[in-house]
Amino acid sequence: MTYSSELIKGTLKTIVLKLLADHKKMYGYEITQKVKELTVDKIQITEGALYPTLHALEADGFVTTEVEYIGKRIRKYYSLSPTGKAKTKEKVKELANFMDTMISLLDIKPKMA
Amino acid sequence: MYTLSDQQVDFILDDIRRHGIEIEDLQQNLLDHICILVEQNLEENGDFEQYYSSVISSFYRQEMREIEEETLFLLTHKTPYIVLNRIQFFGLLFTVVMGPFIGYALHAMTGSNTITLGLDGVAIEEWKATIVFSLHPLLILLVLFFTPERLDPLIPRGARVLLGVRPFIRILPTDEPLLDSPASRLI
Repeated sequence: MTYSSELIKGTLKTIVLKLLADHKKMYGYEITQKVKELTVDKIQITEGALYPTLHALEADGFVTTEVEYIGKRIRKYYSLSPTGKAKTKEKVKELANFMDTMISLLDIKPKMA
Repeated sequence: MYTLSDQQVDFILDDIRRHGIEIEDLQQNLLDHICILVEQNLEENGDFEQYYSSVISSFYRQEMREIEEETLFLLTHKTPYIVLNRIQFFGLLFTVVMGPFIGYALHAMTGSNTITLGLDGVAIEEWKATIVFSLHPLLILLVLFFTPERLDPLIPRGARVLLGVRPFIRILPTDEPLLDSPASRLI
């Protein structure tokens, strides 16, 4: 089962920021693959959603970039800036609170481990 | 594992540009992404063109330009902006273009009969100047506003106009989601 785009839409920035926090620096394709792997294919981020988000994060100053030349093409690595690290904590906390609220609102019983 | 030649890399980059991606950073990101997909998934003696066609079409729903539009959307909406429909936009344009002449006329009607225009201080009769200077912009506005849609590709009927800082003016086609980011169409 894959999640609907509406659910993923609001969490994409948080997902990308958290991945960068955990993996220091990553490039676009790597991010899409990591998300697939960690969610067992339940979340599949498309290129059309990922790259605009990465550009927006860069414009916001939350990520910094460095490039690597691979033959005739350029690979752009993204890593968190100091403000990006603070933003990641804020976004993850906000999402965790939101999930708690939704569990309470929808009366969902957490699965026992 | 397939190895892309320099010519194939150039071909992909040109094709990305042909698909309407103009932001250079975005071009490079997409180029690298597509190259990885081709190199990892195509067999050594596989059909590059056939595989490339299937990969590129999976990047968008209608056209690849959606990715650029989404990027611009996210970047644009960080700065203050207002969105106007066509009538409001022409109303604003009318006010900006015609305002000075109306103000000029009102000033002349309530004040003196003459007003000084230009650096050389030439006095011109108020109504003569008002009518002459107002007719031209008014005519342009009226032609634009009443032009049939097929002849007015700039601001088609139903379109909205975004006025901001970057870009200064952007025309949003009919039915494009406004405050709801088009990201949902891309995920």
